[in-house]
Amino acid sequence: MAAKDAIQAARPRNEAEETVEAIHRGSVDAVVVQGPTGPQIIMLQGADAPYHVLVERMSDGALTLDADGSIVYVNSRLCALTGLGAQQLVGRSFASLFAGELPQQRTDDAQSDAQLRRADGSDLPVSVWMRQMAMGGVVATLVTLTDMSIVRRAEEVATAERFARSILEQATDAVVVLALDGRITHASWVAEQLAERAPVGQLFSEVFPLDAQSASQQGTLRRFSRESLDQALATKPFHGVEVALRDARMSGRSFLLSGGPLVNDAKDAVGSIVTLTDITERKRAEEQQTMLVAELNHRVKNILAIVQSVAGQTLRTSPSLPAFNKAFSGRIQAVSIAHDILTQTRWIGIGLNELLTTVLAPYGVGEGRITSDGPPVLLEARLVLPLSMVLHELATNASKYGALSAPLGRVTISWTLRDDRHKLELVWLERGGPMIEAGGARGFGTTLIDRVVRFDLDGEAKLAFEPQGIRCTLIFALTAETTPEQLPGSAVQPD
Amino acid sequence: MTAASMERDGYNLRLYVAGQTPKSLAALANLKKLCETHLPGRYTIEVIDLMKDPALAQRDQIVAIPTLIRQLPEPLKRIIGDLSNAEKVLVGLDIAPS
Repeated sequence: MAAKDAIQAARPRNEAEETVEAIHRGSVDAVVVQGPTGPQIIMLQGADAPYHVLVERMSDGALTLDADGSIVYVNSRLCALTGLGAQQLVGRSFASLFAGELPQQRTDDAQSDAQLRRADGSDLPVSVWMRQMAMGGVVATLVTLTDMSIVRRAEEVATAERFARSILEQATDAVVVLALDGRITHASWVAEQLAERAPVGQLFSEVFPLDAQSASQQGTLRRFSRESLDQALATKPFHGVEVALRDARMSGRSFLLSGGPLVNDAKDAVGSIVTLTDITERKRAEEQQTMLVAELNHRVKNILAIVQSVAGQTLRTSPSLPAFNKAFSGRIQAVSIAHDILTQTRWIGIGLNELLTTVLAPYGVGEGRITSDGPPVLLEARLVLPLSMVLHELATNASKYGALSAPLGRVTISWTLRDDRHKLELVWLERGGPMIEAGGARGFGTTLIDRVVRFDLDGEAKLAFEPQGIRCTLIFALTAETTPEQLPGSAVQPD
Repeated sequence: MTAASMERDGYNLRLYVAGQTPKSLAALANLKKLCETHLPGRYTIEVIDLMKDPALAQRDQIVAIPTLIRQLPEPLKRIIGDLSNAEKVLVGLDIAPS
């Protein structure tokens, strides 16, 4: 310990000499001096050369301010950011560099945002870091400026990308973005579901093999080979080409193929956006609508023919205009009731009992004067109108001349099924009405009944004028040879 | 080399530099070369950058940079400068030229 103390005591003199000699020799380039806040490193000339190089090369702008806020040093990056030379910058005030609010040194050593005013008058968003330092007894401020425009641009691009991505994700159509070579760079969720395999990176034609829906459009698609189709889709606008996908999963589905160019900032086409819209449901609805309109047309024509026919028939057998008016109104009413039944049953048909109740309601079917008896029978739609008209004729006649014209008269309607339920035999029997004299047809609506049963029910009607009352027997087929959904023909004339 | 043999034969050296000044870089390079030549496997070098923490200068009472301190073996020795004169360094560190 004593030896060490001796060395320590001897050291200052030796060290001082050695230090002076080393400095003289030029083998040291920095010295430590005692400053007000502790030891400070003072660089000798040339020692900070590497720092200069680094500062000049750094991608941030850097500058030093004196205590008055005047610029004493700038690096070359700061010159580039401002668009001014170092000579123009040194000596200027720090405040003159900025548009708007002046950045301040922050206690947390963080950066603050500012707008750097450039020589061309434009502003550049920068992030500013500042720190005050005591340098050899004077106070200086060191400042760095980071160009935020690149960062902002990157943020904008990322935001735009996220935005576009979310649109693609939400799109109900299959949307794909093609590069100029026809390869898919982006695909919406729907597109991914439609594709045979993961679409991104593939050629459009590989993932979505197309067939045109119409002959003319087939030509459009055929003009292109597979490669040239990809090329065409990527470079030419397409509008509303109806296509199908050659994929077993998509059979029977129709798509609308559209495409338009994707342009960059410079308005150059860099690819295209192609959409495949599933129009299967739309087409189905259109076809159904077309069919319904045609059906409606057909039915309206039929109704007009019926009205015309009933009018002619009634006119021939009416002795006077009031008589015509009454008979015609009644018959048209019967047509109307029949149509109501058809509409309510959606043209499916109706039970015979129900038809009788509805059609004969105005003639006291619920009052016990008209009774019906027979097995349950479902009448096809085509039978409803003619049978309604026949029943209407019979009931009208009965109320005018037959059983229903007398207080105690009754009508009994009974029926049986014949020929293995293919045919129906219905008997309309009137009793209790006025006695009928032999051969007393008396302007009875027999012509209409006869024609309707023969032509529209494809059956036969036998009308017997028995002395106690009428017996009308109708025999007709319950099932048609043609399709059961067919519209009933004219009540008096075949359609 | 074991810790015990290091204690007995090893050189524990501490070099004070100021960041990357030319003389600091030169001193480190010269020291490494010299140690590899004369003290292979028998030395450790601790580099202390006073630019990062000037207060550390007080520990070994550094006044000029670069400065080399021989901590072990005792007694403590110091050499100021860029260590470019190898002979002087060898003498200063008490290393017999091989």
